[in-house]
Amino acid sequence: MFTERAITMVVLMNASERFKRYLSGESVDRMPVIEWAPWWHLTVERWKGDGLPAEHAGYEELQAYFGLDRCLQTGVSCKTGATPPPPGNGLGIMEDEHDYETIVRPTLFPKPEEMFSEAYFDTLSATRERGDTIRFFTVEGFFWYPRTLFGIENHLYSFYDYPELYKRMCEEYADWLVTLFRYVFSRFRFDFMSFAEDMSYNNGPMISKDTFDEFLAPFYKKVIPVIHEYGIPVFIDSDGDITMAVDWYASVGADGMFPLERQAGVDVSLYLDKQPDMAFLGHYDKMCMKHGKEAMRAEFERILPAMQRGKVIASVDHQTPPDVPLELYREYVSLLFEYANKVTHKEGGITPCPVFLKQ
Amino acid sequence: MILNDALVAGMNIIGDKFRDNTIFVPEVLVSARAMNAGLKILNPVLADAGVEPIGTAVICTVKGDMHDIGKNLVKMMIEGQGIRCIDLGVDVDPEVIVAAVKENHAQLVCLSALLTTTMMGQKDVIDALVAAGIRDDVKVMVGGAPITQQFADEIGADCYTLDAASAAKAAKRLILEGKTA
Repeated sequence: MFTERAITMVVLMNASERFKRYLSGESVDRMPVIEWAPWWHLTVERWKGDGLPAEHAGYEELQAYFGLDRCLQTGVSCKTGATPPPPGNGLGIMEDEHDYETIVRPTLFPKPEEMFSEAYFDTLSATRERGDTIRFFTVEGFFWYPRTLFGIENHLYSFYDYPELYKRMCEEYADWLVTLFRYVFSRFRFDFMSFAEDMSYNNGPMISKDTFDEFLAPFYKKVIPVIHEYGIPVFIDSDGDITMAVDWYASVGADGMFPLERQAGVDVSLYLDKQPDMAFLGHYDKMCMKHGKEAMRAEFERILPAMQRGKVIASVDHQTPPDVPLELYREYVSLLFEYANKVTHKEGGITPCPVFLKQ
Repeated sequence: MILNDALVAGMNIIGDKFRDNTIFVPEVLVSARAMNAGLKILNPVLADAGVEPIGTAVICTVKGDMHDIGKNLVKMMIEGQGIRCIDLGVDVDPEVIVAAVKENHAQLVCLSALLTTTMMGQKDVIDALVAAGIRDDVKVMVGGAPITQQFADEIGADCYTLDAASAAKAAKRLILEGKTA
């Protein structure tokens, strides 16, 4: 016999379950309410001045403080402590094949079993059993990764200056990723994973479709099916205007993208028209927050139709700026819950993400 | 003829295609690199012939901001318009910019900012130009991901452009307008 409390627990979903159902196109009690990125340290400092207790200022503590669905990231790189650090912001650690062969490559690609302790997987599993945490796994994408080695500007030249080296670097990286994914995901099924890319700026992608198809797509086509074998949706993290890039990433099997920066002119409703299978996280214009509750409500009203017709998880479209007082952020969270409760997808018609289409 | 009909004309085509998203950043960079290689050969010849740049621009990313790819793109496109560029780099103090304007008799200041936290640095530069008494002697052009026309108007900038190609054309227009004013 169910008590009233037990019935309530059945109806309310936990964070992980809600997230999967939302991306599967199934009905939910409400939209997931998450902040995928840690808060900006400048913003947190400002909030401390506004009265935020210091013991709540950590990433996990802030999520609990505001009552959000817990969402935690595990980020890994193929670099090691032996990999040379860049000599300055945006600068590279190699120029050509010789540098890659002698300086960089010997320091890359640690063995997965040396990266994670069994205790870490136990921790992940414990939170999964409680079901109160969305866990996501992040690696560098095939645009971001070579950029960290070449440096920002030389990376852009490398498509012309060192095309074969670029492909070799990505091929070796993709091989390592496949090994990593099989090791990690056979031990723990993350709720989603993300590739850090930042391939776009405020006027569109930095590279052409032809360049994407030649230098990035083959490697995504190699690793995404492996991730999908474990039932894990794949998101691409790219700032800027991704209106063109969203189709390119859909073509290699990505399930979603974030953060869909409004300031770059992104309109998620257009993406739902052309990529209805994909999920989209973010898109809430952070620049409106400082203007007060009515401005924030108007921004939710703008996104609500998209939230109701697709797998849009409204969230700040990067990090809350430091010009937003703590009290206004509380108002934002209150509105976020209000609008999240308007999205249940009980009427159906929501298509699953590609990973769930295949299952 | 080589400068105007080949190098500058070529970069104009590159700029238009970049603006229209038919070519992208790597193509602009390799094109600008080719143009600069040509200019290195041409510059001594032009100097001997008494050909001067149409003007001088000081360009940088503002204080607190380390991003320079957008600034570098604008610089290369502006140089393609026959404008001498004094590149101060990234994370530049307003006082350094004011000093560079004075020292080089620049007609234009181009300010880049990628971050919402650093965009107000563009206003700081304009304020510094006012405080130095040279605001009326120089045009200020602003750009970067978080920058909008509204923001440019609010801080008292003379010009905002959405992309590097438009910035280069606006730079040329502003300098030529200044000469005829």
